Amino acid sequence: MTSPATLRAAGASDNEPGAANPSRGRRAGGRRPRSSRRRGEGRAAWLLLTPWTAGALLLTIGPAAVSLYLSFTDYNLFDPPHWIGLRNYTAMFTRDPRYWDAVRVTARYVVLVVPIKLALALAVALLLNRKRRGQGFYRSAFYAPSLLGASVAVALVWRALFSTGGTVDHLLSDIGIHTGGWIDQPQYALYTLVLLGAWQFGAPMVIFLAGLKQIPGDLYEAAAIDGAGPIRRFWSVTVPMLSPVLLFNLVLETIHAFQAFTGAFIVSSGRGGPGDSTLFYTLYLYQRGFTDFRMGYASAMAWVLLLALGALTLVLFGTARRWVFYAGQERA
Amino acid sequence: MPRAGRSRAVRRTALCLAAVLGLTGTLATACGSSSSGSGGPVSIRFVWWGNADRAKATNDAVAAFEKANPSITVHTEYASYDAYFEKLATQVAGGASPDLIQLDRATLGEYQQKGVLLPLDSYIGKTLHTSGLSPLLLASGRISGSQYAIPGGQTTQMLVYDKTLWSRAGVTPPANGWTWAQFATMSEAVGKATGIPGSTDFGWAIDWFEVYLAEHGKHLYTSDGKLGFTADDLAAFWNLTATIRSADGLSKPTATTKMDGSTANSALVTKQAASEINYDSNLTGYLSSYNGGTLAEAPLPSDNATVSGLAAMPPVSFAVSKRSAHPDAAIKLLDFLTNDPGAGAILGTTRGMPPNLSIRASVCANATSSTKAVCSYEDSVKSIVGPSFGNWPTGSAAIKRDFQQIYDDVIFGRTSVSAAAARVVGDAQQTLSQP
Repeated sequence: MTSPATLRAAGASDNEPGAANPSRGRRAGGRRPRSSRRRGEGRAAWLLLTPWTAGALLLTIGPAAVSLYLSFTDYNLFDPPHWIGLRNYTAMFTRDPRYWDAVRVTARYVVLVVPIKLALALAVALLLNRKRRGQGFYRSAFYAPSLLGASVAVALVWRALFSTGGTVDHLLSDIGIHTGGWIDQPQYALYTLVLLGAWQFGAPMVIFLAGLKQIPGDLYEAAAIDGAGPIRRFWSVTVPMLSPVLLFNLVLETIHAFQAFTGAFIVSSGRGGPGDSTLFYTLYLYQRGFTDFRMGYASAMAWVLLLALGALTLVLFGTARRWVFYAGQERA
Repeated sequence: MPRAGRSRAVRRTALCLAAVLGLTGTLATACGSSSSGSGGPVSIRFVWWGNADRAKATNDAVAAFEKANPSITVHTEYASYDAYFEKLATQVAGGASPDLIQLDRATLGEYQQKGVLLPLDSYIGKTLHTSGLSPLLLASGRISGSQYAIPGGQTTQMLVYDKTLWSRAGVTPPANGWTWAQFATMSEAVGKATGIPGSTDFGWAIDWFEVYLAEHGKHLYTSDGKLGFTADDLAAFWNLTATIRSADGLSKPTATTKMDGSTANSALVTKQAASEINYDSNLTGYLSSYNGGTLAEAPLPSDNATVSGLAAMPPVSFAVSKRSAHPDAAIKLLDFLTNDPGAGAILGTTRGMPPNLSIRASVCANATSSTKAVCSYEDSVKSIVGPSFGNWPTGSAAIKRDFQQIYDDVIFGRTSVSAAAARVVGDAQQTLSQP
């Protein structure tokens, strides 16, 4: 992902997989007697963590803190930053119609791409979960777009496919549908990007696949004996058993979708056009920072995105209590 | 064990830090002590944006300069427009500014205002000669009474049209003194006769609006960096395009939205329009990429009998960094690029017409066919071209982008002309009043 560096700082959720570990560590540590030996170990741990800590401080936390400071300043790269309090934030919320365009476009993109992508990922994972020959090949083949998808080359291909006179335009014209190039029209342009995003379903697919492998086969057997058909088995066994993985994928993909940048940047030649229809939040942030050299404003935008993502993640976790089912809960 | 390791690590870190500090100190002294005195070998950095043709010609000219001045080494760097300015801003902010810098109308004022540029007045007439330059053009490098930049070339607005398509519609080729009403009738006639709209929808670029404003005695920006037009002015301009567009005289929205001034995305080159407004420095590009028709050039229409709206614009200007350690060497290179006949022959028209008039004459005399077309167009409009419109203020890049994005909304029917014009003016005023 080529999202601006400040946004990387927002990717605290990248560490999510490790979130389960602390409890395990505590249990393991609990068996040892509390002693100076443990303190020594702690020190060794800190020492071993030094490279990571230094990296986190210098490359993530430090820049993020500086960007927080810059968000309260007017900074154009040439002159020293000049403190203006909350004016970047008030300008953004009250006097910048393009900012709200960007928010609307991004929200629409997220609402469209996340469910489509997850549905595709789950469907393909279900197909690939069956035992058959050449499974490894199929898995790699479906995963490949995720490796390529964020690249500039694929975005360029997308632009060629969906522009006026491009492949899709030709094929549709041949069967009598004259829409013109999708990326050249404000009412369709965003959908080409949704398609590009959804096509990169490889990462959630692999995670779904791993989740599917974890579901004990006897549950399906028991359900089958009770007379449940494949659809019933899917809704009553697969979905509940997979719900923690679904939550994980949902949170991760939502965050990724908010940070989408490359596709829009390349397909619209950095403009977010036609008519702001593909002006993603991050693209506007980039324009503000690197074309208009208003780094303070761009930093403020990055922090608003970070806070919004944080809030959204909390909401998702909040709803999780209602629909996420942890197998362990019942047994314990 | 960890304790010993740590103290050793600390000692090593301290040592490293000391070394780094020492090194910086040496560098600082090295930087500080280097003077602009002649004699010893010096090296300077020269940066520009542009395509491969420009890069090759410029590097060749720089090689000729190095040959003539063995004591000066020139490091050159170039990039595409956007990448160039991102890099330049970072370098200047980081105190590593190049010595000789290429700028344009949208950026010159901003860099001057930030105090990045060296005033050239004390060098002019001594080591930097400007007497051979077109005075119309030279004025573009003057800001608040001082010369901060030397134009690197000259370009003028033009209409390039497909002669074959236009004659098929039976319209007389446009010439000096034609009006927008004539342009409208002709474009519509071409559209009806050939099925290809007579011209590219020119409402997309603030540059062509600038011409329209000049014809009405106005400017995009006032000399003190304020907005020089009203929403009514812009609505008049966009109503003009709307009228012609509704009669199939102008390109379709799907073609117009792609426009960025490059020949690759041009509606004319992709046969979605039979003519296009652009700067004449792009004419060679049109001639080499246009297939299946003969192109010709004409001035832009004007409703004003005394003002043609055409202007002698510098596509690029050269300026010297105030922080340059070797301003004399940088000025020497600038003078060489501007006035040396050999350099002029190498550079040709890669930055528009050469700014030096005698070099321009000799380049045109020895020109190949496509360069000759630029020369003959410039010659044909010589009497009606006015001085450059002046530099654009800080924030003009955002305003230019906003202008095009909002025009997209107009052509796709998502907003009315009057609402769009009001929004452009509102946005621009806000951008210009930024702290």
